[in-house]
Amino acid sequence: MASRTLFGIPVSAGIAIGRAYYLNKNHFSGTVRQTVSDADVPFEIERLNRAFDAALHDLERILSLVPEDLKEHSAIIESHLMMLRDQKFRKRALDHIALTKINAEWSLERAVGDVQEIFASIADEYLRQRMQDVRLVAERVLGKLVGGESGHQAIKHRAILLAHDLSPADTIELDVNKIMAFATAQGGKTSHAGILARSLQIPAVVGMEGLGDDLAEGGIIILDGFHGRIIIDPDEDELARYTDLQAQFEGYQATIMRSCHLPAETIDGYRVQVLANIELFEEVVAVNDNGGEGIGLFRSEYSYLNRDGMPTEDELTEIYMDMASLVAPKKLVIRTLDVGADKLMRMQSSAESNPALGLRAIRYCLKHRDVFRTQLRAILKASVLGNVSIMFPMISGLQELVEVKKFYREVQEEMHAEGICFREDMPMGIMIEVPSAVITADFLAREVDFFSIGTNDLIQYSLGIDRTNKDVSYLYQPLHPAIVRSLKWVVDSAHRAGIEVCLCGELAADPFCIPVLMGMQVDSISLGPQSIPGIKRIVRQASMEECNALLKQVMASHSVARNNKLVREMIFRRFPEELMFYSSLVDD
Amino acid sequence: MDEVQEKIIRVGNSLGLHARPAGKISQEAQRYAASITVHSCDMEADAKSILDLLTLAAPQGTELILRAHGPDAADALSSLSKLFEDMFGEDR
Repeated sequence: MASRTLFGIPVSAGIAIGRAYYLNKNHFSGTVRQTVSDADVPFEIERLNRAFDAALHDLERILSLVPEDLKEHSAIIESHLMMLRDQKFRKRALDHIALTKINAEWSLERAVGDVQEIFASIADEYLRQRMQDVRLVAERVLGKLVGGESGHQAIKHRAILLAHDLSPADTIELDVNKIMAFATAQGGKTSHAGILARSLQIPAVVGMEGLGDDLAEGGIIILDGFHGRIIIDPDEDELARYTDLQAQFEGYQATIMRSCHLPAETIDGYRVQVLANIELFEEVVAVNDNGGEGIGLFRSEYSYLNRDGMPTEDELTEIYMDMASLVAPKKLVIRTLDVGADKLMRMQSSAESNPALGLRAIRYCLKHRDVFRTQLRAILKASVLGNVSIMFPMISGLQELVEVKKFYREVQEEMHAEGICFREDMPMGIMIEVPSAVITADFLAREVDFFSIGTNDLIQYSLGIDRTNKDVSYLYQPLHPAIVRSLKWVVDSAHRAGIEVCLCGELAADPFCIPVLMGMQVDSISLGPQSIPGIKRIVRQASMEECNALLKQVMASHSVARNNKLVREMIFRRFPEELMFYSSLVDD
Repeated sequence: MDEVQEKIIRVGNSLGLHARPAGKISQEAQRYAASITVHSCDMEADAKSILDLLTLAAPQGTELILRAHGPDAADALSSLSKLFEDMFGEDR
């Protein structure tokens, strides 16, 4: 039998070869409609009742297992519990069995359909979204109907987990020791599942089209977390090739991990600070293990997403204080709320027709001053511990920055008046990620203590492309001359004003781009914890002399293709292993 | 026979009757034997059903009528209206 390959988005590196295991297969297979005889009606009713009770029991158990630090997830789980306990919903499903003489599965689908119809007419976007919760709840019950165990506890041997999606409840329930890797049909680069995989250091692929269509359960598959693919029924050649690659990667990882605690210093003595981008408290361990020298970007959105209502000042203060003391004496840069675009809070409406250019990040905060004030106060309170800096995202120009600083000062004065302590000289920086901020970087540099360049948005805005749009994503070119010039100008403007520059987009984790960034003399880079060892290794083997020479060539070039060729040649010449494992620029 | 009891209340919390308040109401309502309904304009929801309550989609400021019928109707109404008065522990 010939092998087949499915493609998705790689979110965690590595290779796994093992048996496929489906989580709740009914997500994929669809529900079958069957008529039942009068005599079987009581049996179907009993079956559905039991499935409801079993699902209820499961969820109660999950809720009791939620660790303290993941409490923000439990609000969702609790509302799912309430839905399972909803007698009216259950009765609706049971009535379908009795009235139309159809099987329990189909009756449940019908009941979901009824609710869906009612919800569809609700104008409120947030409430309409709750329909997804009803669906998730129903799927739990379906899982119980489809037969015996279908949850994670049923995994008997180590396997590659395939799922439609992994909800926060699923991820809490996962027995990680039995999961070699996972793939999901849903999800994007920033989904919760990806963060989890990276922190567990298991390979993962998300957004995989066709997953579940006709994969045989228990069959051997290869999951390639470098390129984002699954090979079903691999032939012997493929198995041999991937077994080799897996062994090489493990060897390579062992090598880079051994030296990851050494400073990132080139052979000719140029030092760059390597920091980490994180979102969750739990990731700090991975940062330390991987040799991170601090947190260059703490995304503060997590406390606001996936919940009802805004977090309180006390809640935020506790999180920031815990983080600050855990990370201390290393640096912790807290970025203020960056919601909007792809990260929507439940309280926000998503009615914007162009959210990437809409009310997001600092614009949202300036419009919702109460929300902003709460966060600023919490960060200021935490500033007395450890080594905290504050950073504002999406600044588009001087006037906006002045407005932010004015409000920041007002909040500080309020706290003074209330007699609350904070660190007066906490470093304050901004993200440079909008082209207008790049162009006026020389003005902005005089107003702040540091810059942090967010390359993901900067590239998207500068080149005018939505990189999640498949039709234009080929234009996402980090080494476009416009981007290279922008970066160089921002770094030079900062240095002329005597402030430091950090680079914190995906570019910083790209082995192919790092020598160019080194040539520009960025002071620090901030990247996903798992990428730190590899990047440090490149820096430690590079020389500033060759980075400077490379930058000179790249600055003089007017073509992306030539730039890609230049960096590829350098990496190939100097770091052949990286070329094997990372393919960001190799594929073109 | 038991009388039908009624009480008019207002949604006070800024986020309106979203999942968490709806969950609290249905949880509380389930403790009583009385049948309890919540009315908004021409809509009626079973107070013991979180899904029913959600379909009311009542934002802040909405006036609702609580209606209860049964032996413990009066107690049910007073404990439910207290939840509304406390704004479900939000907006403190």
